Amino acid sequence: MGLMLLFLCCACSSIDCPVQNTVATQYAICDGEGNATTLTDTLWIISRRSDGTDTLLNSLVEAQSFTLPISYSHPEDTLLFIMHGTDGIWTLDSVFLKKEDIPHFESVDCSAHFFHRLTNVRCTHYAIDSVTIENPEVDYDQSKTHLRIFFGGMVR
Amino acid sequence: MTRARHIFASFLAAWCVNTAAAQGFLRLERDSIPLFRGVAVGFDVAGAAQLAMSDYGQIEGMARVNLHDQYFPTVEVGLGRASHKDDEVTGISYHTSAPYLRLGVDVNLMKKKHTGNRVFAGLRYAFTYYNVDIDCKPFPDPVWQWDTTYGVKDQSCYQHWAEVLFGIDAKVAGPLHLGWSIRYRLRLAHDDGPTGKVWYVPGYGIQENSRLGYSFNAIIDI
Repeated sequence: MGLMLLFLCCACSSIDCPVQNTVATQYAICDGEGNATTLTDTLWIISRRSDGTDTLLNSLVEAQSFTLPISYSHPEDTLLFIMHGTDGIWTLDSVFLKKEDIPHFESVDCSAHFFHRLTNVRCTHYAIDSVTIENPEVDYDQSKTHLRIFFGGMVR
Repeated sequence: MTRARHIFASFLAAWCVNTAAAQGFLRLERDSIPLFRGVAVGFDVAGAAQLAMSDYGQIEGMARVNLHDQYFPTVEVGLGRASHKDDEVTGISYHTSAPYLRLGVDVNLMKKKHTGNRVFAGLRYAFTYYNVDIDCKPFPDPVWQWDTTYGVKDQSCYQHWAEVLFGIDAKVAGPLHLGWSIRYRLRLAHDDGPTGKVWYVPGYGIQENSRLGYSFNAIIDI
């Protein structure tokens, strides 16, 4: 009887991986007073990748927020923000995002992921006034804003 | 107000009846059989078979005191082990090996308690402190494409849980008994470490589907 139970229990297994398993950073675009606002310029964001491609975000315009991937295991992500203003001027800024990478485990049946803790962010200041960390924990929760980015004069 | 008083009185009456019934059920029978009826030791065949046939399981022994063939204070000690290597889909390996302890008591529900065959219900409190190794073969970052290494070593975890069980114990020959039990488990407290979750907990099983457990014991009266 016991062995029969054992076979029955061994016969069943389930895989219960989270459906929402994207780990990415959410940026909110803000004006000088910290209020959410809309970016009027066109924005590209690139980063050097090992396969030779580089674009993370393509031609973003009229947006109040955007989502960017975060590297699995590099201590610092370097992001190049390219902006094309309505006045035809091109501007480049670099954003350096430091973080701790925390292996996240659900089950042996679920693929390996990393959560992250943002520790520091710095940037150049041609078009960007500043970038601040709003919520340092980056995980499956896509509803929270992780970073606020303040543009000078390119928002309305 | 009167209605509330009636409801309270009904509740009190029901509680008194239930308490009396429970006391009758738990009261030690008065007969010539002595209170101390010996000690038995056993081995969980199901856990060992599970360990032999899959990549996790446990080696578990138990000892219990027989009080008047009615109450059985029980201790269960085991070594839970999981060794899942290079999952064919995810490439993840998981290893843990640690002891666990369960303490509790079984109550014989049979009307004739001294036949040697028993139907019992029981409660357990259990805990384990264990370390987990998780690693994965290097894999490319999905965006940047650099090779990524993933893993933790000796991650300290613990879990406390309770079990409610129902089982049967049959006298086979001489001092040998065979018995099985079905167990409902409830996690009381746990720390799965900074990785968020664990897969196998020694003595408890796979996290996702271990609410129900089972054991099949070979027991010898000593």
